[in-house]
Amino acid sequence: MHPLDRLFEKSSRSLAQRTSRRSFIAVLGQALTGSMLLPLLPIDRASRAEARTSPPDSEGAHKAPSDDPQSCEYWKYCAIDGFLCSCCGGSSHTCPPGTAMSTIAWIGTCHNPGDGRDYILSYNDCCGKASCGNCSCNRNEREKPLYRLSRNNDINWCIANTESDYHCTVSLILGVTET
Amino acid sequence: MSRWRWPGVALAAGVGVSTGALASPAQDYALHCMGCHGATAEGVPGKVPGLAHTLVQFMRSAAGRSYVLRVPGASNSMLSDAQLAEVLNWIAGHFGADQPAAAVSPFTAQEVAAHRRMPMASVQATRREVVKELAATGSAPAEDY
Repeated sequence: MHPLDRLFEKSSRSLAQRTSRRSFIAVLGQALTGSMLLPLLPIDRASRAEARTSPPDSEGAHKAPSDDPQSCEYWKYCAIDGFLCSCCGGSSHTCPPGTAMSTIAWIGTCHNPGDGRDYILSYNDCCGKASCGNCSCNRNEREKPLYRLSRNNDINWCIANTESDYHCTVSLILGVTET
Repeated sequence: MSRWRWPGVALAAGVGVSTGALASPAQDYALHCMGCHGATAEGVPGKVPGLAHTLVQFMRSAAGRSYVLRVPGASNSMLSDAQLAEVLNWIAGHFGADQPAAAVSPFTAQEVAAHRRMPMASVQATRREVVKELAATGSAPAEDY
């Protein structure tokens, strides 16, 4: 007998002595059940669905800067998290009619590739109407966790307004950072 | 001379366009304080305490100074002790025109270091006590917040 045949025969017999057909069926059954249950595990579908339905969303991935204030890649939006007011009847720095600018805000800094300077920006929410739902934009440059409250942009900054419903977010230039 | 171009005008107009470079500590105020206390440090009535005019009032007493350094926004800020002292002195001078900051001693990094890490169990209760004491000797901030 060929040595290779002997080796396979030996290993097959050894396997047969250590296992039974019943245990093989049990393992196969577990594998099949597991593969069927895998899609039911609680994975984050919402963010993926949002990314599919609301272009030009952006989160994390660095894309080429845009000059379009309705694009999430517009340079002023580097630390934004919310719906762009420029897609909601306002502009990049003005609230849509019927909403009021939040009295408190998240402050961030963004680099403007147009002039090569870094700007301090105030991200104010526009308040008083239900969420706009257009142009969701979630970029988080230099954002900190919630325990750094003033550096976290997941907060509804409308909380200090009389009408605290969040509608969309604007970006105001406060000045150029000191070099 | 400060290179800071105060953004209050731009904010009030809703235009948000200013190209002035921000010099420290004005820049520190913009980055670490202005989001809540506002461009003119007036705060939000009933929600966020103002710093304009009131900070100088707190600086009149030892208890008031300690309170200012221990409130969460100051003690938990990402500013160093020296930066916090500098920005507080700047706020007092910049937004306390009716009570010149020269009338009170400025904060030092050593003073900040000695107080900011002492936990304050109740901001409201401490504020009430401090304000009561200040009111007995002169002008005092509002009790609420």
